[in-house]
Amino acid sequence: MRRLISLFLLLILLGAAPRVAQAGGGIAFVINSAGASVSVVDMATKQEVRRIPVLREPHHLMLSPDGKSLLVGDTVGNEMLFLDPATGALQKRMPCADPYQLGFSPDGKFLVVNGLARNQVDVYDAATMTLVKRFPVAKTPSHLDFSPDSKRVFVSLQDTDRLIAFDLTNMTVLWDKPVGKTPAGVLWHDGMILVADMGTDHLAKVDPKDGRVVAEIKTGRGAHNLFVSPDRKIIWVNNRAGGTTVSLDAKTLQPIRTYKIPGGPDDIAFAPDGKLWITRRWAEKVAILDPATGEYDTVNVGRSPHGIFLNPNAPSPTPLASR
Amino acid sequence: MQDPFDLTAGWLQEHLLIPLLYETGLMNWEDVSYGWALFAVYGAVQVAVTFAVCLPLEHWRPVERWPDSKAVWVDALYTVLSRVGILPFVTYVVFYRAQVWANGILADHGWVPPTLERLFPFLMGQQVLTFVVYAIILDFAEYWRHRLSHQFRWWWALHSLHHAQRQMTFWSDDRNHLLDDVIAFVWFGVIALLIGVPPLQFPLLVLVLRFLESLSHANVRLSFGWLGDRLLISPRFHRAHHGVRAAGQRSCNYGAVFPWWDMMFGTADFGRDYVQTGDPSGEEALATGTYVQQQWAGFRRFLRSFRRRPATRTGRVARGV
Repeated sequence: MRRLISLFLLLILLGAAPRVAQAGGGIAFVINSAGASVSVVDMATKQEVRRIPVLREPHHLMLSPDGKSLLVGDTVGNEMLFLDPATGALQKRMPCADPYQLGFSPDGKFLVVNGLARNQVDVYDAATMTLVKRFPVAKTPSHLDFSPDSKRVFVSLQDTDRLIAFDLTNMTVLWDKPVGKTPAGVLWHDGMILVADMGTDHLAKVDPKDGRVVAEIKTGRGAHNLFVSPDRKIIWVNNRAGGTTVSLDAKTLQPIRTYKIPGGPDDIAFAPDGKLWITRRWAEKVAILDPATGEYDTVNVGRSPHGIFLNPNAPSPTPLASR
Repeated sequence: MQDPFDLTAGWLQEHLLIPLLYETGLMNWEDVSYGWALFAVYGAVQVAVTFAVCLPLEHWRPVERWPDSKAVWVDALYTVLSRVGILPFVTYVVFYRAQVWANGILADHGWVPPTLERLFPFLMGQQVLTFVVYAIILDFAEYWRHRLSHQFRWWWALHSLHHAQRQMTFWSDDRNHLLDDVIAFVWFGVIALLIGVPPLQFPLLVLVLRFLESLSHANVRLSFGWLGDRLLISPRFHRAHHGVRAAGQRSCNYGAVFPWWDMMFGTADFGRDYVQTGDPSGEEALATGTYVQQQWAGFRRFLRSFRRRPATRTGRVARGV
């Protein structure tokens, strides 16, 4: 009898094995900003499987600290959508004024939402999703990043050439300083802040204490956005006007290699296989770049792909519509 | 499948607009420039399709033949400016941003601004059906805007530029005074706030509607038949609106795409045959002037409209303001 049960269990396991392999295909969520949708891409086949319709114009997305929800900011639709990161199923919608760029503080306590069109930076209590503080700012708050201790958040004010720092403990403005022409991407790195100055060909290295620019790191025309690799050894910079992606040594900030990625490279997500998934804003495509070879595959998505999130542990997506 | 229009806009953005913005220190406009490029590409396609269809029609069965068509070329300039230049820019830069700003205020109060898809969730993701509903509502709003532009003296002073053309062709659809266009944008903006019009979501279908509006102005003997004329506005139906006798406050056939509103509110006139167009009460510059002369003449007429109006013997308001 025991043998029979063992055999039965073995058969179940054997039968389940291929299904487990298939189930781990992974999902890439790609926001189509001018297409009012989120593309659901099967990471295994590199094919778009379906689109999740949203109201108007989403831009960015962020995983909640507990990993249970993927927040998608529909900027023009003025709402935040909560998706299941494993399936893309809609969990809930929440009214939210002009959610452009968003980010959770590292301690998971706050959600900061930049209102690009309404010139405001909103701080929400991440647990209750209630508005704690609204900071009116001069103009166009664009990108953001936090200090690792979660006490400060830094926001680029794109049209004013400035970077602004907020104290999240006392909810006050710490400083507001010029950092270069048209600042976009912001990244805390090694005790300093790196800001991609889109109107120039460089990053500004900014002292978080007072907002002083201490160095400029040349990357390429229209430095737009920057990301640190999961192993924290490389900083990747997308140059909007040059149509290039550049790798920098994270220690020295010296350029390692330049990759030609046409079509307006914007956001980057890192896959477990070491490849970079890069949205190409004007090409309706995502580039999957192999940094070792410099070659890239493409995935066709919707109009103006912007924010991207990879969930490699999710089961392969189904073609069913998600509402 | 990749959208060829989008890819064309992307090419323009990457190879023309972004290098230009970068060199001129205006990279903060890079998102706006892409929106403009999308509108401009669709606008250019609109113009090309309209030209390709309407021109042969106008040669085939013209209502009128003119020895000199110089006045028509000014209308062509209006069309290009409106569909490829000004309209896309204003729509994206002004209207779109204002909509985001105003809707954000509502969202602050915990209220997601109304959209048809929110009111009727089954529309979400149903692009064609959603568009048809939007098109009907917007056409209704457009009927009333147009009708009111004939009722108020100052508004008619501006709108009369559109009616001054005696050589009406498919190019004449966009022949408007800039202030009249501004009012139209504000009107459209208010409606957009009420129902949440998504300007970039249905570009191909917008193209079809704009084509129909251009066709309705064409210099062609074309009717869609008894039933067809009651479903969609034909050149014959809209020509009656532009007739000499219909200029001003006692006009008919105000609809843009669907004649239903005229039928519903008693302003439809299916009886008039291919009439002569124009506005005898306006000065000549409105009809045959250059673009600048027309705009200036329209503005002067607008200012004059605020003066005390002369009463006529019949007690009717004089139209020649």
